[in-house]
Amino acid sequence: MEQELALLWTALASYVLAGTLAIVGIVLGRRPERWVLTLLCLGLALQSLSLGLRWVRLEHGPFVTMFEILASNVWSLTLIYTLAYWRQPAVRPAAAVVMPILFLMMGWMITTSPEAGHLPPTYHTIWLWFHVAFGKVFLGSVLVAVGLAGVILLRNLPRAATRFANLPASARLEDLAWRFMALGLIFETLMLTVGALWAQDAWGRYWDWDPLETWAFLTWLALAFGLHARMAWNLSERISAMLVLGVFVLAFLTFFGVPFVSTAPHQGAI
Amino acid sequence: MEIRTTPDTLASSGMPRGLLSILASLKFTLVILFALAGGVLAAFRGDADPLWALALPLGLFAVNLGTAVVLHPAFRRQPPLLLFHLALIALVLLLAVGRLTYLKGHLELTEGEAFSGELAGWQAGPWHPWRLDRVKFINEGFRIDYAPGVKRGPTSNVIAWQDADGIWRRGVIGDDQPLLLGGYRFYTSFNKGFAPTFAWRRIGRMGDPVIGSVHLPSYPMHEYSQARAWRLPEGGPALWTQLKFGEVILDPDQASTFRLPEKHSVSIRVGEGASEILREMRPGEVLRLPEGELSYLGLRAWMGYTVFHDPTLPWMLAAVLFAVACLAWHLYSKYFARPWNREA
Repeated sequence: MEQELALLWTALASYVLAGTLAIVGIVLGRRPERWVLTLLCLGLALQSLSLGLRWVRLEHGPFVTMFEILASNVWSLTLIYTLAYWRQPAVRPAAAVVMPILFLMMGWMITTSPEAGHLPPTYHTIWLWFHVAFGKVFLGSVLVAVGLAGVILLRNLPRAATRFANLPASARLEDLAWRFMALGLIFETLMLTVGALWAQDAWGRYWDWDPLETWAFLTWLALAFGLHARMAWNLSERISAMLVLGVFVLAFLTFFGVPFVSTAPHQGAI
Repeated sequence: MEIRTTPDTLASSGMPRGLLSILASLKFTLVILFALAGGVLAAFRGDADPLWALALPLGLFAVNLGTAVVLHPAFRRQPPLLLFHLALIALVLLLAVGRLTYLKGHLELTEGEAFSGELAGWQAGPWHPWRLDRVKFINEGFRIDYAPGVKRGPTSNVIAWQDADGIWRRGVIGDDQPLLLGGYRFYTSFNKGFAPTFAWRRIGRMGDPVIGSVHLPSYPMHEYSQARAWRLPEGGPALWTQLKFGEVILDPDQASTFRLPEKHSVSIRVGEGASEILREMRPGEVLRLPEGELSYLGLRAWMGYTVFHDPTLPWMLAAVLFAVACLAWHLYSKYFARPWNREA
C-alpha cells in the first residue's frame, strides 16, 4: 500500500503544482498552459498507476470506501478537465476556477482512511461499471461548464475582468458552457437509467425515491430546467452562469453530501 | 434552431392564442419542471401523497408535450427533438400503467418449503392481475459466505421451480439474479435466519400432526434477540420461543459461512403468571400441553425474498434508451455540429 500512496501523493503534488501555475498565470497575465497540461498529464499517469496497483491488490475497483470514491473522482474529473483543456484552448484559463474545486476534493480525500473496504454482493454486476462511468462523465462535463461559468462571473469583477480579456466573448463562453451541460444531461440520463437497471436487480425495484435517487432526479430536473430556461428567456450571461453553478452545487451535494446523511442502502457517491 | 413560444412566434406561425398556446408553451414546461421538483421534494419529505404530488405534474407534462408537439412546427422540423418528446410522453404513460399494475411484496420460506402464493406484505396497483397462485417454487437451501468483520458475501440460493410447461427445474438465484416466473421477479433479500420446526397435534384430532416453522428474527442482524411470540394453529395457545446456542456462527475475526448451530435448544414459554410453563427442548422432545402435544422436530434455516412485478419494465427501458438516443442526436445537431465560437 505504501507504493500506491507514494504514487498518489506525487500525483496530488503534480495536480497542485498545475493548479497553482494556472492561478498564478491568470494573476500575472501569463499563460503557462504547456506546463499546466504537462503537470496534469503527469499527475494523471501517476494516479492511474496508483489506482491500478490498488485495484490489483484488492481485486475490485475504487467503488467502496470514501477514500476510493474521492480518489476515483479526483482522477476522473481531472481526466475530463484535462481532455477539455487539451482540445479546447478557450477553457484553459478556467483552470483557475476548476482546480480549486479539485483541491477541495483532494483535501477531503487525504483526511479519509485508505484502508480497504468490503465489496457488497450487489456490486458484482456489469451495471456498476456503466453507472459509475456515466456518472463520472456527467460530473466532469458539468465541472468544465462550471469553469467557464466561473470565468463569466469573474469578468464582472472590476479587477479580474482584464485577466480574462484574451478569451472569447462571454456570450460564446456561455454557449460553450451549456454545450457541456447538454452533454451532462445525456450522461446523467444514462446514469439514472443504468442505475435503475442495477437497482432492479440489486434491491428488487428500479426506483424507490431513496435520498440519493431523489436528489439525483432533482439534479436532472434542474439541468433540464436550465436548458429550457435558456430557450424560453433571453437570459443574461451572468444569470446563465449562475444557473450552471446552481446545477453543479446540486450535483455535488447529491454525489458527496447525501451519502453522509442517508441511511438507505443506496450510498452511491460514485 | 431554438423553440421560442413568445406571442410573436406564435402569431407568425399562425397558431391559436389562448389556452392551447399556454399549454404548449416552453414557459409552461418550466412551471411544470418546477412543480415536479416541488412534488418530488414534498413526497420525499412525506408532506404530500406521492401519487398525486408526482402524477399531477407528470400528467400536465404529458399535456404540455403533446400540445407542443402538435402546435409547434419546430418539433416537426427537428425529427430527433420530436421523437425525444414522444418517447417522454410514452414514458409518462408507461409509468402510469406501471403504477396501476405493479406488485411489490416480500415473503419468507423455510428450507424445503414451497411458495404457497401468500405474501407476508405487499403493495400493489389496483389493476394488478394477482397470478401468484400459479407460481410454484421451493427453497432448497442457501449458502452465504462472510468475510472477516461479518461482511456478507453473495447469496447462492438453490431453487426448484415449475416452468410454464409444468416441468420442474432447478437453479441458483441470489442477490442480483432473480427467479423469473409467471411475470414475477423473485429476489433473495438480505433477510434470513433460523426456523425452529414443530409438529402440533391437538387433543382429539385424528390424522397427521400440523407441521410448521417459526421464523426467528433475521440473523445476524438480530443476533441477540433470537426469540419470537407466536400462536399454535387450530386455536392452540400462544407461545414464546427462544433459540439458544453457545457457539460462534459468524466469526468477526475470520471468514465464515452462515450455518445452523451444531448444538442448540429452544426455550418454550406457554401462558403467564401461575399457569406459566417454561421448558427447554431439544430436537425430538415433546411438550404436553392441556390443549395438545407439541414436538420439536429441529432447526432449519429460512430465507427472505422480495417479489416484483411490473409488465412495463422492458417497454420503459426501450422508451428511455430511445429517448436518450434522440436527445443525443438532437443535441449533437443543435450544439456539436457547429463551432461554438461562431454565431449561429
